[in-house]
Amino acid sequence: MTGEFIDPRKEFGKTVTELAKDNEDIVVFSADSGKSSGFGDFIEKYPERYYECGIMEQGVVGLAAGMATAGKIPVFCAIAPFVTCRPYEMVRNDMGYMRQNVKIVGRNCGFTYSDLGATHQSLDDFGLMRLIPGMVVLAPQDPAEIRQGVKAMIDYQGPVYMRIGNPKIPVLFEEKPFEIGKGTVLREGTDLTLITTGSVTGAAIEAAEVMEREGVSVELIGMPTVCPVDEKLVKASAAKTKKVLTVEEHYLDGGLGTIITEVLSGMSDVFVRRHGVPKLYATTGSYEQLLDYYKLDAKGIAGVIREVLA
Amino acid sequence: MTDKTRILKLKIAAAKSRRNVLRMIKASGHGHVGGALSAIDLVTALYFDKMKIDPSDPGKPDRDRFLLSAGHKCLAQYSVMAQRGYMDQSVLDTYGSFKACIPGHPDMHKLPGVEANTGALGHGMSIAAGMAMSAKLDKEDFCVYAVTGDGELPEGSNWEAAAAAGKFGLDNLTVFVDNNGLQISGKVTDVMSMEDIKDKFRAFGWAVAEIDGNDMEQIVQVLDRLPLQKGKPNMILCHTVKAKGLSIGEGKAGYHFWNAKPEELAAADRELEEQIEKLTKELEA
Repeated sequence: MTGEFIDPRKEFGKTVTELAKDNEDIVVFSADSGKSSGFGDFIEKYPERYYECGIMEQGVVGLAAGMATAGKIPVFCAIAPFVTCRPYEMVRNDMGYMRQNVKIVGRNCGFTYSDLGATHQSLDDFGLMRLIPGMVVLAPQDPAEIRQGVKAMIDYQGPVYMRIGNPKIPVLFEEKPFEIGKGTVLREGTDLTLITTGSVTGAAIEAAEVMEREGVSVELIGMPTVCPVDEKLVKASAAKTKKVLTVEEHYLDGGLGTIITEVLSGMSDVFVRRHGVPKLYATTGSYEQLLDYYKLDAKGIAGVIREVLA
Repeated sequence: MTDKTRILKLKIAAAKSRRNVLRMIKASGHGHVGGALSAIDLVTALYFDKMKIDPSDPGKPDRDRFLLSAGHKCLAQYSVMAQRGYMDQSVLDTYGSFKACIPGHPDMHKLPGVEANTGALGHGMSIAAGMAMSAKLDKEDFCVYAVTGDGELPEGSNWEAAAAAGKFGLDNLTVFVDNNGLQISGKVTDVMSMEDIKDKFRAFGWAVAEIDGNDMEQIVQVLDRLPLQKGKPNMILCHTVKAKGLSIGEGKAGYHFWNAKPEELAAADRELEEQIEKLTKELEA
């Protein structure tokens, strides 16, 4: 960690704009959501490739799929529930079933819209998107991974859902190519495997450091591709530590924890615990208050690790 | 070709398309015939008279695109595509069979030439508009033709597409509303009336025309007029008869989906055969 914090939306929009310079197939759709998705520069530079559609997410997914059939690479970013729950059937059929090269990006994911309530929070997007056959689900964990993840997403031929947050996020990693479907061992350990994704990874790293000071050796795996998950890496680490804890800013049901549990279901000697948000309409408050309340900050995650090892 | 010859040839093609529908129903025992037969004259005219297509190269980038928003009308599309050479006519006998490339709703990955996987209603207009947007962006001159059912118009997503097509000035997009007036539960105007359909599209910035969608002469005339107005998407309100050409089912909501009896099929096929003979004599005269 460098101590630097960067706005994920700006990083996302900036990267798409940079890629659009050499890739004329990239088009951007907005449902009154372009500027807040970091596309200010794109609008200036490539107005002919920017489609402001107003608030019509179902329509946008269909329009994007239609453009993709003719070789375009549409990128559509808006508040996470509005690109997942709202147009779900369009994503499932027009993108998924039709196998179209459309990229949808849910921003302000998890409960980063903490005080706006459950309509604007997105704690089910991993679950919804991973059930669509062929859909890649990405949750980059820091600004460098957003940049590299966007490049990988554009290079990948097929439908992709990426989730990013809203508040500034810490720089965690050196810049390196993003490989879809691959996780990374962020620190090696022997007592427990902690698997993290997306916005909570900074807190997970801190929690692992706290536990190390208490004499607990945590193997930390960062999993920026939620689907298809890196099964090989998960199984190898689980075989070593025999205890796996997953952590995510998502419902306990349907997300990374569920996926990891499925992967490990054949390993009877491995204990798995999922940590996330209970399946209810989350409460409101500041983002920090919600992370604290649902034990998704470093202190909370460390506490869950202690419970698992007790 | 004189206009009369052109029309007669298309009428014969449409009757043959209808026979192909019966052939598929014979293979599977059932299917969505009502909407297929109401739209089939128009679909025939598009594939045989209007669209810039090459069945031997169905993915050609500059081809015109056709898609059914009402995917359950696919019997119309398959029957015309088979006649037009996209597949061998014998493929029609696989309708309803295991792993058929002509399933109960069209699948672009199973049958080359199908442009979209429709069936869930209210999707096609957006997809078609997206295709038309791509043509505009690339300054390509291909056109996109989509057929919607009148029964699917209450789906809100249609109106999202209508607004976008109007805003982006997609005069290379034509949507045909197959206004047969009937859906599973009865009259469209009783179930959920979307009248006045023309005014609604006009309000979204579309150019509008209205025809008898089972009258080949009117179909050809309106196709010749496209685009109706530069800079505006086109909506053709096609007044049609459900199950047109199947005398026992014409104008009956119950024939939206038909579980056919062999003797009914045989009688319907004989009628069409006679119609084709009559039209052929007229053409040769």
